[in-house]
Order: sequence, then structure tokens, then C-alpha cells
Amino acid sequence: MYDLVRGPFVWVAFIVFIVGTVYQVVRFYALSRETSPFRLTKPTGGPPKTEAPPAEPVLTFGQRMRLSIAGTSPVMITVTTVFHVLLVLTPIFVLGHNVLWDLAWGVSPPSLSEAFTDVLTLIVIAGGVYFLGRRLFMARVRAITSAYDYAILAIATAPFITGFLAYRHIFDYDTVIILHMLAGEIMLIAIPFTKLVHMPFFFINRFLLVHENTFGAGGTRIWR
Amino acid sequence: MSSANNDTTVDTEAIREVLDANRAKMKTALRVCAHCSLCAESCFLFHVHDGDPRYMPSHKFINSIGRLYKKKGRVDREGLEEISEIVWRRCVLCTRCYCPLGIDIPEMIALARNICRSQDVYFQWDQLEQPA
Ligand code: HEM
Ligand code: HEM
Ligand code: SF4
Ligand code: SF4
Repeated sequence: MYDLVRGPFVWVAFIVFIVGTVYQVVRFYALSRETSPFRLTKPTGGPPKTEAPPAEPVLTFGQRMRLSIAGTSPVMITVTTVFHVLLVLTPIFVLGHNVLWDLAWGVSPPSLSEAFTDVLTLIVIAGGVYFLGRRLFMARVRAITSAYDYAILAIATAPFITGFLAYRHIFDYDTVIILHMLAGEIMLIAIPFTKLVHMPFFFINRFLLVHENTFGAGGTRIWR
Repeated sequence: MSSANNDTTVDTEAIREVLDANRAKMKTALRVCAHCSLCAESCFLFHVHDGDPRYMPSHKFINSIGRLYKKKGRVDREGLEEISEIVWRRCVLCTRCYCPLGIDIPEMIALARNICRSQDVYFQWDQLEQPA
């Protein structure tokens, strides 16, 4: 069991994760098309010139921040930013992972001290607990929550909870480490096919699609 | 509130046609939504109604186009009336809602309006009850 979960399953999980994510992106390109961004042009001639709009933005930076979701939900935005950054970065610097990369490939990313990644792991778990609390106790979140949302939250945090238990040798290590590897593999496989697919689609929605809230130049593509 | 005819049948095929023509973006929006509720504060109607979750943009598209999609267009007249209540009375399509994941919520609500129209369900101003 251990060999299977530590060996072939890991590769299957990574391949499904990568191929699945690429599939989602390719599928998006296949189902969308290039368009010229909508621009208002100044009419030539016509009525007399009106006063030029102010060059400075009407709202100050502080005012804009207060009106943004960082201003209306400051705690959530702080927690979710920390949660997401650590969720992606922590596993890359865990010594236990890099030993395995080293055994398989002879190379690995640099490792942080185990004591430090242990703290990062705890922070991710705390973020998960915060999301759970919102889901349970905030009426507006509960109104759009189903069992599926709890399942996804569990899938996303399980590798951290089991990784933590394994590092601290809480419960039977041999069982916990198998559960950890399974949890990690399930999470990777789940990314392209569940609501966790927001990982690639955050970038597609916010940078590629022509849309009210696209960053930068305003996007170039629309769904067919 | 808004049936233009008294026909009690629903043309499921016609609904499916609209759903199929927009499947990709609709499916993506519904799947990508994290159900996080961060869009709530961006809707003025949410504020006007004292934070009633039913006025949250995501609640509106999940229960209109989301419902039509999940049921594959199989809704009855009553269901269509409920949906029309959501997409006309609880949303004015001002397009000011903000989703951190970039979901085009107004587009989803507009789509649900299209489907209502395909079934002769409209918003009828003359039948609007004025608040007391
Ligand atoms: C897919 C196969 C995976 C394998 C084989 C694996 C293996 C391991 C091993 C051997 C450890 C060290 C445990 C110890 O110190 O005794 C560990 C720790 C850890 N793993 Fe994984 N892991 C996998 C996936 C993941 C994923 C996908 C995540 C998160 C996204 C993750 C997060 C962690 C964390 C955060 C720790 C450190 C826990 C702590 O120090 O408190 N792992 N893993
Ligand atoms: C790397 C690119 C990613 C971006 C830009 C991103 C962005 C977002 C955003 C904007 C939300 C909406 C609500 C919130 O802010 O919490 C969200 C929610 C969420 N994300 Fe991500 N995400 C990414 C990757 C991931 C990954 C890889 C996972 C886990 C495997 C994940 C797990 C979650 C979970 C569980 C929620 C829902 C939180 C809740 O239950 O309220 N995200 N993400
Ligand atoms: S529409 Fe966007 S902001 Fe609203 S709940 Fe869904 S992911 Fe969150
Ligand atoms: S388009 Fe509808 S849901 Fe979005 S902010 Fe306007 S009224 Fe609210």
C-alpha cells in the first residue's frame, strides 16, 4: 500500500493535475474567440468642446481601497490572501517533500526548516477553520453553501491537517503518512475538475476575457 | 406577476436551446464560483435590503440560471415565475457587481431573462405592486 501510494499514485496525481489543467485552458481557447476590445471614440466635429475631465482620479487611493472588497471585507481578504499564498508555497519548501523529489529526480527546490514549515502549515489550517466558521455562521455564506462546499474545503485542507499530524507523529505515523499522501493526491486530482478549477480560471477571467472587471488592458477574448 | 399568456406548458426544448448555445460560459461560471459571498457588498440592492442574502449577486445567478442549468430546463410555470422574480425584481442589471474570480454575474442574469422571455414570461411594470 505504502509503495503504491508513494510511487505510481503520485505520478498519476501529478499527471492528472497537469494534463487536466492544460485541458481546461485549451478548452477555453477552443470555446472562445479573439475580439477587439470595446472602446468609445471621441466624435469629431459636433458640439462645442466641454471641459476636459480631471486628470487626477476622482477618488483618492484610500477612498478606492475603502470601496473595494478589501475595504468591505478586510478580515476575509487578509485571511484568504495568506491562505492562498501559503497553500501554494508551503508544500514546495517542505523538507519531507524535497527528500522525495531528491530520491526520484536527484534535484529538488530548497527546503525551509521543518519547524518553520510546520508553522506555515498551522496558518493554512487556521485559514481553513476561518472559512468553515464563515460557512457555518454567516447567513450570506450559508445561503449559497451546500455539502459540496464543505467537501471541497476538506479536500483543500486535508493535506495540511494530515501533513501536520505526520510531522508531529500524532496518531500512528504509518497510517497518517499514507492518509497524507492520499489526501495530497486527491487534492491535485480535484483541482481541474471541481470548483478548485478557479485556480486557472482566476487568470483566464481576470486577464483574458473581455469583462467589466478584467485587469490591465481589458482582455481580448469572449466566449463563442 | 409577469406571465404574458396563460399557457401552462413550458417549452423545455426552447429553454435547452438557449442553455446549449451558452453552455461553456455558463458551466464555467457556475463551477468556478467559490460560494464565498464576497460579491454581496458590491450590489446596492443587497444594501438596500439590509443584507438579505437573497439579494447577493451569486445567490441570484445560482438560483436562476443555475437552477435552469441543473434541471436541464425542466421547470414548471411556477418555477419560471420564481426565476423571473429573481432576475427582474432582485436585479436591475446595473452591472456593478464585483467578483474576485471575475465571474460575469450580470451576463448570467441576462441569460436567465432571455430564457424567461422565450417562455413569454416578462416583467410587467403595470402589474407592479407599489410599496405601501
Ligand atoms: C502527492 C504526494 C505527497 C506526498 C508523497 C507527500 C509526502 C509528505 C511527507 C513524506 C511529508 C513529511 C512528513 C514528516 O515530516 O514526517 C509531508 C509533509 C507535508 N506535506 Fe506532503 N506529500 C504529498 C502531497 C502534499 C500536498 C498536495 C500538500 C499540500 C498542498 C502537502 C502538504 C504538506 C505539508 C504542509 C507538510 C508539512 C507538515 C508539517 O510540517 O506540519 N503534501 N508530505
Ligand atoms: C493560485 C491561484 C488561485 C487564486 C488566484 C485563487 C483565488 C481564490 C478566490 C478569489 C477565492 C474566492 C474567495 C476567497 O477569496 O476565499 C478563492 C476561494 C477558495 N480557494 Fe482559491 N485560488 C487559487 C488557488 C487555489 C487552490 C490551488 C486551492 C486548493 C487546492 C484553493 C482553494 C480555495 C478554497 C477552498 C476556496 C473557498 C474558501 C471558502 O470556503 O470560502 N484555491 N480562491
Ligand atoms: S460570484 Fe464570485 S464573489 Fe460571488 S460568491 Fe461566487 S466566487 Fe464569490
Ligand atoms: S447587476 Fe444586479 S446583481 Fe449586479 S450589482 Fe446590479 S443589481 Fe446587483
